[in-house]
Amino acid sequence: MSGLRILALVTDAFGGNGGIARYNQDLMSAFATSARVREICVLPRQGSLGHQALPQKVLQARASAARLAFSTQAIARAALDGPFDIVFCGHIYMSPIAAAISKFLKKPMWLQLHGIDAWQPRGGRLARTATESAALVTAVSRFTRSRFLRWADIAPERVRVLPNTFEPSFTAGPKPEYLLDRLNIHGRRVILTVSRLTASEQYKGHDRIIAALPAIKERIADVVYVIAGDGDDRERLKKMAKAAGVEDITLFAGHVPERELPGYLRLADVFAMPSTGEGFGIVYLEAAACGLPVIAGDRDGSVDALADGAIGTLIDPEDAPQLVDAVCNMLAGRGRQAQPTSHDRFRAGNFNTHVDNLLENFL
Amino acid sequence: MATSHGRWLVPGVSMCGINGIFAYHYAANPIDREELARSRDDMASRGPDGKGQWTSDDERVGFGHRRLSIIDLSEAASQPMISSDGKLVVTFNGEIYNYRELRKELEAKGRTFQSNSDTEILLYLYAEKGDAMVHDLRGMFAFAIWDAEKRKVFLARDPYGIKPLYYADDGWTFRFASQVKSLLAGGKVSRDPEPAGQVGFYLWGSVPEPFTSYRAIRAVPAGSTVVVDRIGAHEPKRYHSIAAAYREAEDQNSRAPRSIDGQAQIREALLDSVKHHLVADVPVGAFLSAGIDSGALVGLMRDAGQSDIQTVTLSFEEFKGRAEDEALLAAVVARTYGTRHTTRVVTEREFQADLPDILEAMDQPSIDGINTWFVSKAAKELGLKVAVSGLGGDELFGGYPSFREIPVWAARMAMPSRIPFLGRAIRKALFASGLDRRFNSPKAAGFVEYAGTYSGAYLLRRGLFMPWELEEVLDPETVHSGLRRLKPLMMVETELTPRPKSSFAKVAALEASLYMRNQLLRDTDWASMAHGLEVRVPLVDAVLLRSTASQRMSDPERGSKMSLALAPRTPLPETITKRSKTGFTTPIGDWLKRGGGEIKYRSVSSLSDTGCHWSRRWAYGVASAPVAHA
Repeated sequence: MSGLRILALVTDAFGGNGGIARYNQDLMSAFATSARVREICVLPRQGSLGHQALPQKVLQARASAARLAFSTQAIARAALDGPFDIVFCGHIYMSPIAAAISKFLKKPMWLQLHGIDAWQPRGGRLARTATESAALVTAVSRFTRSRFLRWADIAPERVRVLPNTFEPSFTAGPKPEYLLDRLNIHGRRVILTVSRLTASEQYKGHDRIIAALPAIKERIADVVYVIAGDGDDRERLKKMAKAAGVEDITLFAGHVPERELPGYLRLADVFAMPSTGEGFGIVYLEAAACGLPVIAGDRDGSVDALADGAIGTLIDPEDAPQLVDAVCNMLAGRGRQAQPTSHDRFRAGNFNTHVDNLLENFL
Repeated sequence: MATSHGRWLVPGVSMCGINGIFAYHYAANPIDREELARSRDDMASRGPDGKGQWTSDDERVGFGHRRLSIIDLSEAASQPMISSDGKLVVTFNGEIYNYRELRKELEAKGRTFQSNSDTEILLYLYAEKGDAMVHDLRGMFAFAIWDAEKRKVFLARDPYGIKPLYYADDGWTFRFASQVKSLLAGGKVSRDPEPAGQVGFYLWGSVPEPFTSYRAIRAVPAGSTVVVDRIGAHEPKRYHSIAAAYREAEDQNSRAPRSIDGQAQIREALLDSVKHHLVADVPVGAFLSAGIDSGALVGLMRDAGQSDIQTVTLSFEEFKGRAEDEALLAAVVARTYGTRHTTRVVTEREFQADLPDILEAMDQPSIDGINTWFVSKAAKELGLKVAVSGLGGDELFGGYPSFREIPVWAARMAMPSRIPFLGRAIRKALFASGLDRRFNSPKAAGFVEYAGTYSGAYLLRRGLFMPWELEEVLDPETVHSGLRRLKPLMMVETELTPRPKSSFAKVAALEASLYMRNQLLRDTDWASMAHGLEVRVPLVDAVLLRSTASQRMSDPERGSKMSLALAPRTPLPETITKRSKTGFTTPIGDWLKRGGGEIKYRSVSSLSDTGCHWSRRWAYGVASAPVAHA
């Protein structure tokens, strides 16, 4: 049987949670749809497959959380389950073991970059050399590619952009009554941010919106700010809202299960996340697909998610008056309307075709 | 396809600026026509007489073109040019000297031409041979072809890199232009500095390709092609290597040594190159110095049948009565070959007045080009649109001291340089103690460390600042990062691959692939184009290189400048051939000492030392001048 066999070392994929798991699922699925690929053997460090069905051609091993166990399993699989044609490395942290396997098998390594992890060199010379040995590097955004090329000594032509994609379940629709009831925000105009609330990710921009709320409220009296997502930064943000005198219009909705996310997005009148640390920001696309006007920062991968402003409004995230104006204009219906289909470019069809093109050129 | 159907160019009129944008990635927005025009019109000085723009119907790709009319062509010369079947579009800068032969070949294969244009040749040659077309081209060129069927852009640059071509690929959209500054002028290319470009400039005095001063912008390397398709730009593919040409000649010599008259063969090859470079329906002038290269070329122009030759020589007040003054001897050459001759005097006042324009025209920082600026200005004042230059003679006929010195250094220092840590220890001790400043040159401290290999010796010979001196002019992080990315010795070594055996061929390959390419040719391009003058360089020709390589290497006489001096039917007079070499110099050192206008260097203490060479001060001043950074 002909076709490529791919050994994929990933943090998590099927059965995992979060953006990277989502991306890996999309990418493994895209590999599977390519006629060039015969089989993909996925080795995850985390995630339990449970009852989740795998796409045809995809095999996923049991997760090995410990680094040593994972490395041992990867080496054993590479040696015993071969032959493989490509070693896929799903996270820059794994590049030393992936590069070693690639060298051992004499097969090219495809390295995937997500976001902030690839913006600075990490690890010693070994990690750096391993990273630079990749035959192909794909980054989720031009910004991540550019930041990576700032420190990595690798031919720029070997570093491509493969943006995130989004699920077809995100579509426009009316505000769900059950959520309006749950949050008690009937008749209010809603600013929404969806993200984890972790102390290590304070770059997301919740603070900036909370700080801007008093000025926004002056112009939009019925405004309410809904923060969807949870984490260890929640209390700090609550205190901040109280200090700013906007705790009554800052609602913490807590963790939102994936199935409820489209509903939350439809609930809102504007999606705002003036972040400075996005590798890409799928949630902007999901919001746009649900028909929301979107506001993002212009200093990171968000620029790609908003397609240079074609999908939403890019602002300087550190410029508070700009944020206030952008939010108020959107809530008042005066914002520049994006083409309702401009986010369609990021649907899975284009993604899959591009992966196939990359495979064609890679070998 | 939306078209701006140009009619036809006549040969010898394609000097211009080119640019283009290709939104190849599915996520990219359609191209911005205004950006395309901004980038194109930044090259107005390269092509003041006309402009053209083409964009595809789906607005995913667009080309721009600025034209300089060497003869009046009105609308007939507009580019970008589209093939008659609409499948190919080209934007082209340069001259194809063998276009007549190519046309005959293509016509024999059934191609029908609608013009006399060398631009049209490119379209049909590509249709016939695809990317391999570059092997058939003789000339100086940089062009891009849009292949609508394959949805790809094909870029190519001539074997020596006479014509410039730069590109930026941000991961979604690919952009190219004849100038670095024009890519920036479009407004969508990052201005993040490239440490390898900065470090390279201080090491060599010019920014070594493929690097530029900006991280996002790279040069299409000389003798290379680049393909951009739906996944973006692919790594440049080299189709010509000077080292390989020498190596092939050596292999051929070892198989079957040539027995025919070497001098006759060299003369024939030189005359052939000159004849090809005179293809144009306009008067072709010549830059004339007191050296052998330009003088012999003027003689060969005569032999090629050019009866009316306008020559121009630069003269400087400061050089009056000194060996550097070229005026008197150049006049002797002019009389020998019966040219209309003009000596143009350049004063310090004119230099100071022109300095802002010089820095503005300088596409990337350079420590040279002033001479070409003024001689081009003089040629333009005389009404010339095309001038022949003797550039390349030293690289071809071993005219530089490096041809003697580098092989000797490499042989003598081979052993000491192999002793681990010895060279570095000596250099560090000298540098730390300050003793290095007692030598005539700061390079002396690194002699043991570097001189034992051709690449190290070449760095010593041609280097401006040495790697250990860089922190005097750049911050440590830039130096560290720049050296890591540039890998100066490996960069030199690459130009010796495949490695020629003879010392002549090694040095010739290095001088032509590094100094001439990154410094002389690039400076000639910006400094002449700023005056709307096309400079042609018959001694920089891949056919000439190949056809004379065996003779020049196998016979020391044939490899010397005398061989060039004797090539014209009337050989150069002895007053020229016996004159000691001075190079084509300007008194910038003296002018800088007395002020130097915008050139500031006094903030760096070592540059204020009395023994500091002017070129180091100039380098620092140029790199620091705001106008030099677009």
